[in-house]
Amino acid sequence: MSASAETSSSANVLVEIRDLVIGIQRTRSDRLIIVDSANFDIKRAEILGLVGESGSGKTMVCRSLIGTLKRRSASIFGGSIVFDGMDLATIDERKWRTVRGNRIGYVPQSALTGPNPVMTVGKQIAEAVRRNRRRSDKNVRGRVMELLDLVHIRRPEIVYDQYPFQLSGGMRQRVMIAAAIAQDPDIVVADEPTTGLDVTVQAEIMKLLREIRSEFNMSVVLVSHDLALIDEVCDRLVVMHAGTCVEVGSVSDVAREPLHPYTIALNRSRIDIATPGAPLVTIKGNPPAVGEWPAGCRFAERCDFVQQDCTIGPNPPLLEVRKGHWSACLHADALGGSGE
Amino acid sequence: MTLISAGTADWFDVEGTVPSPKRARRLKDGTLGLIVGLSMLILLLLLGILVPLLSPYSIDESIDIPFLPPNGTFWFGTDGLGRDVFVRVFSAVYLDLGVAFLGVLIPFAIGTVVGIGLAVSRSKVLNGVVGSIIDGINAFPLLVLAIALIALLGPGLQSVVIALSLTNWARYARLARTRAQVVKQQGYIEAAQTLGYSKPRILFKHLVPNVSSETTAYALSDLILVILLIAGLSFLGLGAQPPTAEWGAMISDGRATLQMAWWPVIFPGLALCWAGVSLSFIAEGLTRRERDVKS
Amino acid sequence: MPTPWEAVVSEALIEARDVSVTFGSGSRAVRAVKNVSLHVDQGEAVGIVGESGSGKSTLARVLAGLQRPDSGEVLFAEESIYQRGKAYRGDKRRLVQMVFQDPYGSLNPRISALAAVAEAVRIHGAGTRAEATSQSLKLLAQMGISERDAGKKPRQLSGGQRQRVSVARALSAQPAVLLADEPTSAIDQSAQAQLLNLFRGLLDEGLSIALVSHDLGVIRYLTQRVYVMKDGEFVEEGATLDVFDNPQQEYTKKLIASIPGQDLRKAQS
Repeated sequence: MSASAETSSSANVLVEIRDLVIGIQRTRSDRLIIVDSANFDIKRAEILGLVGESGSGKTMVCRSLIGTLKRRSASIFGGSIVFDGMDLATIDERKWRTVRGNRIGYVPQSALTGPNPVMTVGKQIAEAVRRNRRRSDKNVRGRVMELLDLVHIRRPEIVYDQYPFQLSGGMRQRVMIAAAIAQDPDIVVADEPTTGLDVTVQAEIMKLLREIRSEFNMSVVLVSHDLALIDEVCDRLVVMHAGTCVEVGSVSDVAREPLHPYTIALNRSRIDIATPGAPLVTIKGNPPAVGEWPAGCRFAERCDFVQQDCTIGPNPPLLEVRKGHWSACLHADALGGSGE
Repeated sequence: MTLISAGTADWFDVEGTVPSPKRARRLKDGTLGLIVGLSMLILLLLLGILVPLLSPYSIDESIDIPFLPPNGTFWFGTDGLGRDVFVRVFSAVYLDLGVAFLGVLIPFAIGTVVGIGLAVSRSKVLNGVVGSIIDGINAFPLLVLAIALIALLGPGLQSVVIALSLTNWARYARLARTRAQVVKQQGYIEAAQTLGYSKPRILFKHLVPNVSSETTAYALSDLILVILLIAGLSFLGLGAQPPTAEWGAMISDGRATLQMAWWPVIFPGLALCWAGVSLSFIAEGLTRRERDVKS
Repeated sequence: MPTPWEAVVSEALIEARDVSVTFGSGSRAVRAVKNVSLHVDQGEAVGIVGESGSGKSTLARVLAGLQRPDSGEVLFAEESIYQRGKAYRGDKRRLVQMVFQDPYGSLNPRISALAAVAEAVRIHGAGTRAEATSQSLKLLAQMGISERDAGKKPRQLSGGQRQRVSVARALSAQPAVLLADEPTSAIDQSAQAQLLNLFRGLLDEGLSIALVSHDLGVIRYLTQRVYVMKDGEFVEEGATLDVFDNPQQEYTKKLIASIPGQDLRKAQS
């Protein structure tokens, strides 16, 4: 990433991720790299979208933000995640316990189990409230009610004693959000929070995320494969492909002038803007599998604008092509205006 | 488990399983364990044939020198009645393993059939009655029921097999029924219906294989437990009767004199462990290989 | 491509008249489908859109012959499919096929993709085993599944690939109607696009499709007519583009307003 300073004051930047490398140490000599040099910032009170196909590495980046890489046997092999004077890439588990939940909250995928099925909702959120802090029981219950109310759960007194299976998918996600914001974190990482949920429920959850951003000044990192959703909800976005960030910028900038062929291709293949009856544009080929990355740009094989120099040398770095708008395409300038 | 740790469990990335690296023909995870287990088992089985065949002493023959410690002639020494421990230990191989195998095979067969039958049957009555029987039997620990039945039938390995057949099937039946109920609901069974496959085809080609894969896995680990169960029952005097050479019985016989002669107890014990461990390795190896996904 | 199916007598291939399905009994009875009537004509794509709990999956299974309705009729080519005994008796069975929602459960995990399709091909008439295999490979290739992937077991394939194998298996029966229950829900965007292109191609060849989904983008793209379902009933129906551009009912309006990215669409139109 170029050394040029961000245009907004650096007090606005909460997290700086630089050259982050994540992988799995398979044997003593063999490493499988899954994320190869991630570069982007997370600003205060912004909703940042993280978009990419499966295998792009976006989930690993999320895990590195909440320090759960070890559980998947993954480690950080290089780079830094600077947050409030700490490098999250190097802190130990003890330090993570003060960060996780407290400074950085997490909302998991809606399709998965999420809440612990054998504990009541109230107890679980109380646990999240109490994490690493001591509070009298009265205070805790009050706070839980407050949180349930914040996430717009009607009749919180009743829901408090219910078990997750008694709630709808949408309500369960609200519970997860309540737990995530329980300790007033600076950042909430939401990994595909509405995948599989009905579209009306999704709209409400997005509205909720926007609210917690504006009312509590929290940043939200929203991971999704749904570009339409990211476009509508996020302020800035990061596009990842085959382990690298290929484009970073504000949603409006990227929509107006996408600077990477992958972003252009993703936009073109959106179903919601497709013409009924006409063939859907698909991105040809598949992303290269982890561990089988080719030389040069990893999108070259699927790229409509590929040139000779795209397939040789190292993976193109992310460079600031326009103010506040980064691209990893060697020919980003030539693309300008070819997006739709 | 807090919400946060519960939410970040390891079943992320449904689409993106991390593939194996580009190495030429990597061995499936678990193959090593499988090979080790099989080797151990085969060794035991071979010795089980060769030793009784080639030994100069038979299992009942006494040299009238009890408690001879292991030496050049009697590698495992002699027991309380002057019999060669070495030949007795290895004569027990096919007995112990064989009875255990029967003690698993019969319940497995009965239980799987009953379980699947219940799941596909529409009769509420049948499900209610047989289901209650299954639940009733499963409420008791296997050992307790087996002992009770053997008390009725009289001690002996035959009784052990009968007792196991009458009780252990219920565990398989429960497993098979639950599994069959789940499989019944799966898309591929419904697809088979819309595609017009005949009922027998759906049952035997699609339902049963997907149910028996579970019960077979269970049977494998059950085998290990049953071996120990049989030895345990024999140890209590309910299984193999003297002078049968069987590991549990041998341990029981030598227990009183353990202080002065360890070999009549330890060697059968080791053989028992060897059998159990080899089967464990095999079971574990197979499970790991099942789970391993080669890209 | 499979040879065209026989011409059917009437226009409406499938017709449901006043169909109701209730689960459970007494005070705990749940009316999943309430007096629903619809039709699917030859060569068209019809959408049934609804959120979870709307009853749309139950309705799809009723049409497929997997769930007998408690009241009402379902007709295929003007003949009731729920006679005594099995649904879709005899020859008719193969003409209506279904692709299910969960790609992870719609294939037998113990057999390869090729085996799954070949079984269907053989049941529906191919001669020798070798012929069935080659036909299956061809069909799978048309669905974008390579020969190498065809030999794999379901857990080695991605969600999108599994769905395409399911479609291949369904098509081997040479159906007239394909019922698709949330075929794109469990797969990512590019796999969705591939699957939808596949469906579009099949439509062009004359197949009729009934698409059940909560994804309005997919419905809008693929279908000509749509039924909007809520709590077991149809609240609105009509030509897809009409319903999307001019929703009449409150619920429909709410649904359409919830689709993300619509500002972009409005700006484009």
